[in-house]
Order: sequence, then structure tokens, then C-alpha cells
Amino acid sequence: MNLITEAAKALRDIGKGMAVVSRAAEKGKHTNLYPFEMPEIPPVSCQSLALIIEADGTDRCVSCLACEKVCPSQVITIERTRNPEGKGFVLERFDIDLVNCMYCAACVEACPVSAIVTIQDFELSTYDLQTLKADKAFLDEQGRRAKQWYSPKLGVEYRNEQGEIQVAPLEQQPGGEAELLKQADKESDN
Amino acid sequence: MALSSDKRSQLKRIPIPEDRHFKPQLVGYNPKTPNRLAEVLAHSLLYFVFVGLLLLIYGVLPWLFKLPGSPLASGGSFTTTGAVLYGILAAVLSFLVAAVAALILILVLRKYLGLVQNRYGPMHNGPAGAFQTIADAVKMVAKEDFVPGKADALVFTLAPLMVFVSAFLLLTIIPFAPGWVLANLNVGLLFIVAAGTIGAYGVLVGGWSINNKFGLLGGLRAAAQLVSYEIPLSISLLTVAVWVGSLNLMDIVEAQKLWWTAIPLLISAAVYLIASLAEIKMTPFDLPEAESELVAGFNTEYSGMRFGFFFVAEFAELFLLPAIAVVLFFGGYYQPLAGFWDFADVLRGLGAEGSTLNQFGGLLASAYGMLWFLLKTALLSYLVIWVRATLPRFRDDQLMELCWKVLIPLSLIGLAVAVILRLVFK
Amino acid sequence: MSIPAALMTGPTVLEPVVGKTDEMIVNLGPQHPATHGVLQIVLGVDGERVTRAVPHIGFLHRNHEKIEESRSYAQVIPYLDRMDYVSGLQNELPYCLAVEDLAGLEVPERAKYIRTAMFEFNRIISHLVWVGTYMLDLGAITPFLYAFRDREMALDIIERTTGGRMLPNYFTFGGVRRDVHPKFWQDLLDFLDYFEKVVPEYETLTVDAPVFQARSVGVGLLSQELAVNHGISGPNLRASGVAHDLRKDQPYDAYPELDFSVITRDEGDVWARSKVRMDEIYQSIDLIRQCAELAPRSGPYLARGRVKIEAGEQRYRAAEISRGQLGVYIHSDGGTGPYRSKHRSPSFVNLQIIPDLFIGQKFSDVIAILGSIDIVLGEVDR
Ligand code: SF4
Ligand code: SF4
Repeated sequence: MNLITEAAKALRDIGKGMAVVSRAAEKGKHTNLYPFEMPEIPPVSCQSLALIIEADGTDRCVSCLACEKVCPSQVITIERTRNPEGKGFVLERFDIDLVNCMYCAACVEACPVSAIVTIQDFELSTYDLQTLKADKAFLDEQGRRAKQWYSPKLGVEYRNEQGEIQVAPLEQQPGGEAELLKQADKESDN
Repeated sequence: MALSSDKRSQLKRIPIPEDRHFKPQLVGYNPKTPNRLAEVLAHSLLYFVFVGLLLLIYGVLPWLFKLPGSPLASGGSFTTTGAVLYGILAAVLSFLVAAVAALILILVLRKYLGLVQNRYGPMHNGPAGAFQTIADAVKMVAKEDFVPGKADALVFTLAPLMVFVSAFLLLTIIPFAPGWVLANLNVGLLFIVAAGTIGAYGVLVGGWSINNKFGLLGGLRAAAQLVSYEIPLSISLLTVAVWVGSLNLMDIVEAQKLWWTAIPLLISAAVYLIASLAEIKMTPFDLPEAESELVAGFNTEYSGMRFGFFFVAEFAELFLLPAIAVVLFFGGYYQPLAGFWDFADVLRGLGAEGSTLNQFGGLLASAYGMLWFLLKTALLSYLVIWVRATLPRFRDDQLMELCWKVLIPLSLIGLAVAVILRLVFK
Repeated sequence: MSIPAALMTGPTVLEPVVGKTDEMIVNLGPQHPATHGVLQIVLGVDGERVTRAVPHIGFLHRNHEKIEESRSYAQVIPYLDRMDYVSGLQNELPYCLAVEDLAGLEVPERAKYIRTAMFEFNRIISHLVWVGTYMLDLGAITPFLYAFRDREMALDIIERTTGGRMLPNYFTFGGVRRDVHPKFWQDLLDFLDYFEKVVPEYETLTVDAPVFQARSVGVGLLSQELAVNHGISGPNLRASGVAHDLRKDQPYDAYPELDFSVITRDEGDVWARSKVRMDEIYQSIDLIRQCAELAPRSGPYLARGRVKIEAGEQRYRAAEISRGQLGVYIHSDGGTGPYRSKHRSPSFVNLQIIPDLFIGQKFSDVIAILGSIDIVLGEVDR
């Protein structure tokens, strides 16, 4: 008798499992049809690095070497010379070895002027690793192609149709919640 | 780690190419804009081919060769040239039938797994991946014919053929409709056991010949499993013979016009289904090729068409063993409760005796029976696939325990039940 | 195939039956579907019975500890993610705790809750990977895809805040690197509402399933004594009946304020380990809910301060990550980075029971036991 009840229980549990499996079809498809359909990547996501050029064509980077110093993988190489006329430096060379970079975004955090930023372009696959030894032209191009980018100082930014750089609204910024709450508090105080 | 500065400047710098990004080329079917009609049509294409092949073998060819009824069915005498030609053609076409059945089931399995696992399954070859299995088959044929250096070349070549032939032989004795059978053997049930056993040898020597330890383990597991499960399988076949009183599959089906054998012989039917799961080597009994333990088990070193033979044979068996179950236990080509009212009888009664309409009606009746047969088989195959999607696999000793401690006693009980029922009711 | 004799040294407990059967040496790994990475186990098998088992590690050795000596304190954190890449966030915590202790940084209240919620969320993700891969080892493909389906959703939530999926580089000394996404807490709660309904499905397919029970009950018995002697930690230890959980015993971050109890089981077999992990998923759901309730919605998320550590100072801090006790020992020589940094990684320690558990078992059980220990090779080799 015991055997029969046990067998019945086992069969019932197997049946339950089979029901779970067949009911799962209701949950729909969860596959992303990449490359036919691009995945939605949040703006803070660090998929690649880029250098930002202002709308008037000047580099944001002031060659302060902060990013080079902070990089854990030591893949940033910057060469600069003193600006012969006026203050500051002239950027001679700005290389990032994107093969050995580990996309930790420490350089982005260190940059005082948000010149180096994280972008969401993850399609870095290539047949030739040499193409990933990025120089300044490469990084500028990445920055020009990016729809939006992120840096902790300025938050999420994007280029509007006129080519001007704008900061995204507060709702899309990390930390925006706290800011909005603060504003709401102030309004309720008034 | 970091290169020195001057070393770096020596590196050839390649500018960012405009087409660095992988731009998908949309060739053929675009999954983003699905076309339901095309999908349904493409997916049913193989089914039409399958049914068409069967109709050709059993309906059109005998008529073309002017065979009276089906000579092979009634004893198998190749007296006329037409009959010999028909035999050869039918054999070649049956090979195709087995292959197409396997192609259909592979695609169904992959699509079904996709469905229950919240993904798409094959997607890009043909509408909703309908031609994926055909593309795979072409790929397998086109691959290099490769024999590993330390393998026993002769046995290595023979093993997949043995497995495939064993599956293929089963096809010849299955009655798809009244009179629609290639070899109407009087010892049909014995033939099932005999043909099935060849496959076990194929797997064993295949696993042994590749000179790979995982393959050897897989082959030994397969031998133990297949030989053990042959016993409950054979005993439950025997119960049918006892109950019906014949070893001929045609007679067995005819005896089920009113009541399926599965109703009195429920235990045997259940034992047969479980044991045939083990014979097909499907989860939870897929130990011989347990991919997480034995890499790929007995076919670890097989590639190309040799692997294809194993693969096709496995899925042909996924069609054939349920088909045999339908023949033995679930009324074969009869519609349910055909004893009370059978639409096939209506079709057979069309027109006057011997008229063209009457002959055509007979053909239609057979086709109608075949559709019922295929439908039942499809349901049983679906059950197997469903189980495969759910269960993990057993351990080898549990597998043996299930066989020797549960299934064989159960099948003996089933046999006793059959004997008693036979004495009481017949 | 000839295997060097040095690879086969190890305890041989079972002698093959001489004259009747031969011992066959099977090389399980380093490229094998069930070793979860590049672990090599040289197995002696007599038929299906395992007569000896010698694990070999080091195929993934990346010299983490040595690299960390030449980095500054902050530069170490991204490397920590790469140790146990399945629960990357959790790896950062013990190191941050140790540096905070040494540098005397006080973590703000809000950051504590964010960290704790993230920590527990990562435990869910890690256990999901375990469910999936373990069932794959046992031959069921479907739970694997369910687990990864839900894991993707969970990773999306983490990515929206941290910017990374598996290697987030998010915790830092004195809090977290940046504020959470505006909808972070809401996303978490929504996900948990969905996920709570799905976990019973996993249970039906795993711990409640008869075939799974047949494979797991009574298999791979790890006695309480053996577990304690080997220094096993995490769910493996708790499944052997030892109520040891650093979240309770040495609470850190927001754990002292949370209400939970240590999950234990007495059986000590594969099934108990699975059940403990399943229960821990429920527990994590509950803990995250508590965090979401208690966490202040505004306030500082990071206490900025200079990390200045006196020479000769040292500290060991540990946290209960999903695989057990991850400890970090830091010794400072007054410089910008650690003079010596040592990780006590749970998988490495848990792996040591392999020979004890394997010998005398069936070949299939070897896979089941190895999967139930839940190792991540990136952390074993470091
Ligand atoms: S992302 Fe990290 S590793 Fe890469 S360049 Fe920036 S700091 Fe260096
Ligand atoms: S930290 Fe910013 S400004 Fe300074 S060198 Fe790097 S990119 Fe340029």
C-alpha cells in the first residue's frame, strides 16, 4: 500500500513539473533578437569609452593626466606639451588600449571636466585586435557617434539635433530620485 | 604589462573603420515582421512530404505497378517483375520516410523546447526556422568524413549504420492502414524485438570503437540499458500476443476495432511506454550520451554524416516506437470506437462494387485510417518530448533498479492479467 | 592516453577488484561540460565506481593578490569583481569593510541599506545561476533557461544603477560609487513580486521533483565534523547542520537592523544543500523587502574621505557571500596601496572536500556532488 501511495505521489509530482513546463509558454519570448533588434541599454552602462568634443569643436580634455594615473589596468597613455601661447597644455597623444581596458569607469570618475565618458556602444568585436588600440581619433569618433553618454560629474548628456550638448532631465539621472524628493520637499515647505 | 611609450608609437595604428559595427544582412525571412501564413505553410511542408511519401508507397505505387491489393502484404511473394520493382522502390522510399520523420521530429522538438523555455528556437532558416533541419542535414552531409586516428575504422563505420538500419527495419512492418504494410510478417512481434536489438549492438560497438574513455563508458551504459529494457518491452509485447492470439501486427490491429488493447492491458501499455522511452534514449534515460557527464557518450568522436546517422536513428525511433505502441495498444489505424461507427466504412461503401468511385473510396478509407494512425503517433511522440523537456536524468543504478525491480515485475503482472483475461473472456 | 604519475598522486581508498576489473583513469576536465570552468579532476573509475579523485586547480590563475599589491586601494576594487564573477558585487564588500575599518570611514545609513539590498540581490542572482547550471548537470535543460531568463531581468536592474552587469565596480570605501537609479527600489520590489511567484516553479522542477530527489537524497553526505574540519562555509556548511552565518555572527552594514534567522538543514546531502539554497532565495527576497522599507530615500550615499592607513595596520574582514565566507586580509605599510592583500575565498576551501566525497560514489554522482558544492573557478584560482 505504501509503495502504491509513493508511486502515486511521484507520478503526481512529475505531472506537476510537466504542467509547470507547459504553462511557462504563457510567459512569452524573452529572447532579444539582436542584431535585428537592439537591446535597451541604460545610459549609465559602461560598454565603451569615448572622448567628448564640444559643439564648437574644441576638446573638453585639458590633459590633466588624472585618468592616466587612476587607471587600474594602466592602459591610458597621454602625451602633452606646454601650450606655447597662453596657459594649459596641448594634447599630443591620447591612447587607450581597449583590449586590456576592463571598463571599470575609474577614469571617467577621475576626469575633472567629464571629457572621457562611458558610452553604450558595445559592438567592439573585431577580427584584428590592433583596431582596438584606440587613439584620439578613434575615441573622438566614438564620442561623435554616441547618442548619449554618462559621466558622474555632469550625469547623462546627449547631443540634440543642432549638435549642442545637453544634460538629460532629472528623471533619467542616477540619483535623480533624491534630487526630485528634495525639490518636492521644498515645494511642500513653501 | 603596459608597453613602453616608444614601443607603443611603433605599433601600426589602424583607423576606426566605417563598417566596424556588425551590420546584420537581412537574408530571406525577417523575424521582426512575421508572416503567419508563410510560417504555417512552411512548417507543414515537411508533413505534406511525409504523408505524400506514404501515400505514394502504399497507395499510388501498387496501383501503378498493377499489383492486386498489396502482394507483399499478403505473404510477400515477388513473383512478377512489377512486384520486384515495387519492392525496391518502396524500400528506397521508406528510407526517405524514416529520414523525413526524423527531420520533422527534430524540428518539432527544437521548436517545442523553444516554446516552453521562453525563447524562439530555430528562427532564421525559412519562415520561423522551418527549413532549419534540412539545412542541418545538408551541413552534415557536406562535412568531412573523418575517422579518428586511434579508432577502429571498420567498426567505427559500421556502428552508425547498424543503429540506423535497426530503426529503419522497424518501419517495414508497421501497418499504416488496412493492407498498407511493406512486410506483413506472421512473426511481426518477434521481428520488433529482433530488429530493436541490432541497434543496441551498434551503440555498444560504436562507443567501443572510438577508443575514447567517455565513449566506452557511454557504450557500456547503453548496452546495459538497452539490453535490460528489452526484457520488459518484450514481455509487454508478449501480453498483446496472448490477448489477441496472434503475432501478426495486422491481426493485432484488426482485433482492436472496438476496444483498444490498452484498456484491458493498461499495465502492459504503461510498461511499454516507459521502456520504449529508455529504448529511444530520451531523458530521463539518456545516460548513454549524458552530455554533462560523458561529454557526448558513445558518439563523442563521431562527426558529419556518421553522427547524422545516430541522430536521425534516434529521432526515427522517436517516431517508430510510439508508432508500434499505437499498433499494439491504441487501435492502430482505427478511429476511436470504430466498432460502433467507422467513417472509413462509409468511404468504402461509396459507389457500386468494383466501380472507379468504389476503388477511390477504398483508397480514401485507407488514407483516413493512416491519418488517425499518424495523429495518435504524434500525440505519443509529443508526450515523449514533453517528458524530455521536464525531467533530469536518472543514475545508472537507479535505471537498472527501475527496470529490474519495477518494470519487469509489473510487466509479469501484466502478462498474468492478460492470461487471466484471455481465459475469462475468450 | 598517458597521464603523468604526478597527476595521480592522492588517496586511493578503494582498490579495484584485482583480476576481474581494471581501474580506468578518466580525465574530468579541464575542458568538460560539468566542471563549471577549468577544473581538472583525475578520476580513477572501476566501472562506474570512483576509486580515486585528485583535483587540480590553477588553470585560471591570474595573480590577483600580487597585482593588488601594486595598485592603490581604490584601484583594487575592479579586480575583486573578477574573482567570483557570478556574484561580482558581493566580492567588493569585505574589502571595502576592511579598508573602511582601517581608514576610519563611517558609512552613511542610506549607503548601508543600498549595499545590503544589492548584496542580497546578488545572492538571488548567484543562486539562480546555481539552479540553472546544476539542473543542466543533472540532465534537465529547461530550468537552466528559466533561471537565466529571470537572472537577465535582475541584472538589468543592477545595470541601471551600477553601469555593469556582472562586473559592476559599485561599492567603494564609505558607501557606494553613485546614487541609485530613481526607480531602483520600485524596480526591486516589482521584480520580487514577480519572482516570488516563480520560485515555487523552480522548487517544483528541482527539490520537489521525484527524479531530482532520487538523484540527490542521501548522495554526497557531508558530515558536520568533516565540514567543520575542512572549514567549509556557506550553504554547504549550513546544510550539514551548523548554524554559521556571518550575516548573523559578525553582522556588517545593515544586517543588525534586519530580522532573519539562519537557515539550516541536518541531512548534509546534496538535496539538503539544494534546499538550503532554495530557502535562501526566499530569505533574500524577504531581506530586500525589509531593506526597501527601512532605507532612507534621501541623504548621502558616500562618505568621502582620504584613505590613509598607517604603516603596520592590518585587518581581516569577512562577509557571507552566496558561496560562503569571503574574507579579506589587508596589511598596510603606509603606502597608497595594500602591502599584502589575501583573500580567503569560499569556493577554494569548499573544493577541498572533493576527494572525501567522491571516492566510492558513482560516476554520475560525482557530477551531482560537484555541482551541489557550487564552485566558481574564477574564485578558486584567483
Ligand atoms: S575603464 Fe578602467 S581600465 Fe579602462 S581605461 Fe578607464 S580606468 Fe582604465
Ligand atoms: S582626466 Fe579628463 S581632462 Fe584629464 S587627461 Fe583624462 S580625459 Fe583629459
